[in-house]
Amino acid sequence: MSVLVIAEHDNASIKKATLNTVTAAGKIGGDIHILVAGKDCDGAAQTAAKVAGVSKVLVADAPQYNHELAENIAPLVAKLAAGYSHVLAPATTMCKNFMPRVAALLDVAQISEIIAVESADTFVRPIYAGNVLVTAKSSDPIKVITVRGTSFDAAPAEGGSAAVEAVDPTPEAGLSSYVSQELTKSERPELTAARIVVSGGRALGSYEEFHKQLEPLADKLGAAIGATRAAVDAGYAPNDYQVGQTGKVVAPELYIGIGLSGAIQHLAGMKDSKVIVAINKDEEAPIFQVSDYGLVADLFTAVPELTKAI
Amino acid sequence: MTVYAAPLRDMKFVIKELAGLEEVAALPDYQDLGVTDVADAILEEAGKFAAEVLAPLNWTGDQDGARLENGQVISTPGFADAYKQFAEGGWNGLGAPAELGGQGLPEIINTPTYEMWNASNMSFALAPLLCAGATECLKHHGTEEQKTVYLPRMVAGEWAGTMDLTEPAAGSDLSNVKTRATPAGDRYLLNGQKIFITWGDHDMTDNIIHLVLARLPDAPEGVKGISLFLAPKFLVNPDGSLGARNSGLTCISIEHKLGIHGSATCTLAYEDAIGYLVGKPNQGLMQMFTMMNEARLKVGVQGLAISERGYQAALAYAKERVQGYPMKGARGGDRVTIINHPDIRRMLMTMKSQIEAMRALNYVIAMHMDIAGHHPDPATRKAHQARLDLLIPVTKGWCSELGNEVTSTGVQIFGGMGFVEETGAAQHYRDARIAAIYEGTTGIQAADLAGRKLVMDKGQAMLDLIADMHKVEEQLGKAGGDDLAVIEAFLGQGIEALNGATQWMLATIAQDASSVMAMSVNYLMLVGYVCGGWQMARAALVAQQKLAAGDDPEFHEAKLITARFYAEQILPKATALMSAIKAGGRSTLALAEGQF
Amino acid sequence: MKLLVAVKRVVDYNVNVRSKSDGTGPDIANAKMSMNPFDEVAIEEAVRLKEAGKATEIVAVSMGLKACEETIRTAMAMGADRGILVETDAQLQPLAVAKVLKALVAKEQPQAVLLGKQAIDDDCNQTGQMLAALLGWAQGTFLSKLEVGDGKAIVIREVDGGLETDEIKLPAVLTVDLRLNEPRFVKLPNIMKAKKKPLEVIKPADLGVDVDPRLAYSNFRDPPKRQAGIKVKTVAELVEKLKNEAKVI
Repeated sequence: MSVLVIAEHDNASIKKATLNTVTAAGKIGGDIHILVAGKDCDGAAQTAAKVAGVSKVLVADAPQYNHELAENIAPLVAKLAAGYSHVLAPATTMCKNFMPRVAALLDVAQISEIIAVESADTFVRPIYAGNVLVTAKSSDPIKVITVRGTSFDAAPAEGGSAAVEAVDPTPEAGLSSYVSQELTKSERPELTAARIVVSGGRALGSYEEFHKQLEPLADKLGAAIGATRAAVDAGYAPNDYQVGQTGKVVAPELYIGIGLSGAIQHLAGMKDSKVIVAINKDEEAPIFQVSDYGLVADLFTAVPELTKAI
Repeated sequence: MTVYAAPLRDMKFVIKELAGLEEVAALPDYQDLGVTDVADAILEEAGKFAAEVLAPLNWTGDQDGARLENGQVISTPGFADAYKQFAEGGWNGLGAPAELGGQGLPEIINTPTYEMWNASNMSFALAPLLCAGATECLKHHGTEEQKTVYLPRMVAGEWAGTMDLTEPAAGSDLSNVKTRATPAGDRYLLNGQKIFITWGDHDMTDNIIHLVLARLPDAPEGVKGISLFLAPKFLVNPDGSLGARNSGLTCISIEHKLGIHGSATCTLAYEDAIGYLVGKPNQGLMQMFTMMNEARLKVGVQGLAISERGYQAALAYAKERVQGYPMKGARGGDRVTIINHPDIRRMLMTMKSQIEAMRALNYVIAMHMDIAGHHPDPATRKAHQARLDLLIPVTKGWCSELGNEVTSTGVQIFGGMGFVEETGAAQHYRDARIAAIYEGTTGIQAADLAGRKLVMDKGQAMLDLIADMHKVEEQLGKAGGDDLAVIEAFLGQGIEALNGATQWMLATIAQDASSVMAMSVNYLMLVGYVCGGWQMARAALVAQQKLAAGDDPEFHEAKLITARFYAEQILPKATALMSAIKAGGRSTLALAEGQF
Repeated sequence: MKLLVAVKRVVDYNVNVRSKSDGTGPDIANAKMSMNPFDEVAIEEAVRLKEAGKATEIVAVSMGLKACEETIRTAMAMGADRGILVETDAQLQPLAVAKVLKALVAKEQPQAVLLGKQAIDDDCNQTGQMLAALLGWAQGTFLSKLEVGDGKAIVIREVDGGLETDEIKLPAVLTVDLRLNEPRFVKLPNIMKAKKKPLEVIKPADLGVDVDPRLAYSNFRDPPKRQAGIKVKTVAELVEKLKNEAKVI
């Protein structure tokens, strides 16, 4: 049994999601090889060789692998897959683009976004937007799998010394070409789309404090800023910051409620957040009933400390 | 601010299992439409439109209602665009005939969509409701030219329609209408003032077609001297294009109201406004009744709709709000959501069971409209028309009164948060309040039921209804099962109360009409509760059969239990009302005015 | 240009799905069903291409039980010209769906196949890419913008961290993301018209396709319950928990 892990990289180095995938590969067992396909990707190959637990790095360095177009990468991976029992890739948009194409070329199923390995042929994955988990057992000779990075720890990036081996490239498919890429600017995200929301209540006391306390924290987290209706009514924040029944409904991965009590109208706007943190000096504040992590503290000392610590 | 999802499961159950969708779909006028094939799709898409376009504007309409600026009503932001989408979606023409650009679908499909429009946004829904009424009236009584020029545009939703009846001194009693119509060539000049004109002016459509009651110069006094006129906001050229503003017709003020803030309630001044006669002179009131009956039925649907909206809000809150401990749990354990408390359950079941009863009654009425209007056999048409005539005041009065109660219970479930406007529960309560008032108050409906509908055939239509109810009672006895046995017993008592009260009304009206009138609202409510119980019993019979067949057990079990709740907890009101009725009106009427 | 659009009937996105207590599947026996929202975007895009004069015919395809006809009717009410139902009670996995679609492509000869990037029930995100592989066509996945030109298309794709623009040859398989467009509300007259549009029903065997599943699914279960909240004593402890336990920063 041997596992081929497809690296997510930027030619210079591999991305963290690759390390999580190596950990998943380790749970399957057998040799772990990494494929780095790209153009002028030696740097990435060298970082891949250092990953603990990896015994070999395959490098396909050719112009047609620049930007990892599915039409070019998939035949390469399908060709190499013949020597492996498993092909794993991180569930990034880049790999999700070409892995099903690999699976179809091999005439096997793909198992998408696994969150656990039960055995060499049995995996756990979420369906229905994560509301249901299911065990999937594959009878295919080669298992083609994408791995949800957040479910596996990252393998140590250092400590390995894998052999680096060049592989012959497959031809340019001539079906598609890369034009350009536009990365999202890192200014503060829109409230309803943000991954993290930092929200303030009336305990902030003034317009100045509201912004002085929350903005540095939000900047550091790449978070949007929200406010309770009480804070908006008091003039601490503009109307479009309001989270709640009559404001915006948000469901970020992380919601940090600062100096807000958790009035039911406010909860209606954020209760579906994945992780809720509350910082309030009143330990009876209802927000603590819904928060995953509560910190009973004076926000004016806790928030600067938090900003510094992350 | 509350969300709305059309109760599609129950709607489909009622139209198919209780209201006889297949029977309606087989009528000659409908059989080419494939109504049974498209019913689900229509309800689903209408539900989507209601939930995603109309419902989000409901709170906006309340908080940022219609305004009057320089003689022009400015509608709530978003309403005009929603109306355009509504019209372009073809929803305005759902029931209108194909030759006018409508889809010619039966009332049994139209009524559930009306429920959705009104539940999602009652203020908004009044605009198409009034337009449909005006369209119907013009279709029956307008000249060929009027029909050709106005109707297709009204059906398409390009132009809106209103009914202008009420005047400062002519409200429930229209015999006192004072607006004058003076002949001026092929047209008339209208002078007077109309008040409480729903959607009397707005900026949502290119033109507004007012149907106006007024008196001709030589008209007799009273109701027999009232004629009907058509007065467009913008005059219309023969080719249908818009001409000059009908400058004698202006909106001079709009009301500040308890609810339905999104719908402008206008005072319209007619000062040499141009109008055209509709139908024959002095027949106006009769003609207007065409649309008034229709409107009354739709107000019954409004009572149902606003109750559903209030229920959905209260239910969501009850499942979310954590407060107190379970009955059996120890203090210090986990607090629970309030739906776990018995009294909250009582309130939710009271709301749910009455809503389902109202829905069944309204959709069954829709079926009677379809058959009364479209069955090839005159005797069948007549029988259904008789049932329909009897039930119009009942559904209007009973459902609008229940709308008040159910939305009030909704506020109660929210507790203190219900008294706070922000949660939106209060809006439904305020919006509901008008339904028992306009299109004839509950008192007017009761007078129509007791003074006209009941006596005009010596109670025959009501006795036929009671006989139908007995048939269901018998079926319950034969079907077996504990739930149906209980429902049978309570329905039996309800029918007995209805029969007893009906006999008293019939026996008393000749010698003591004021006593009958004093008891007429009690009687109307009694009829409503027993009709609801009758329909819920029919639902229970179907549900038990479906359960035995293993079909959707979750829904049908809930239906059976809800029907049982209605029988046990709501129907006994009928017996109490009968006792009150039989006591007569003496104490109601005995005090001299000065003693109050 | 002729377009084939695949639409899947799934549990409505408003339904909060739970697993059955015996773990044999999701508990969806009487749940409200709707068109997969991503596929709705695909149909909308196809209709816009037709309205813009770039597409000539739209064929909506669905697979599964007889009830999938409703989903095809919805697609036709939105603007598809005709429909094909591949009727089967087999459990269809993405590879099988891709093979059926490949057979339909051979039959219909479209210049592009549009479909959602994933279905909201199995969340696989595979079918489009697999179909492209089987056909040897180019693929444009996760689209947020589509410009169809002569023999090629410019596609803007949603990728981690931003947007990527590619140029792909036609014919191609296009999988769409939610931001590509906002699907229209279905108009009542179009519901009535859709009823009269042709809808062909065929079986997988008619197409010579083996649709047997490759993966065996079992032990459907709810994810672990959200743990009861805890109080942390210090900011340092909070940061530690967010980093290592919740893994959100």
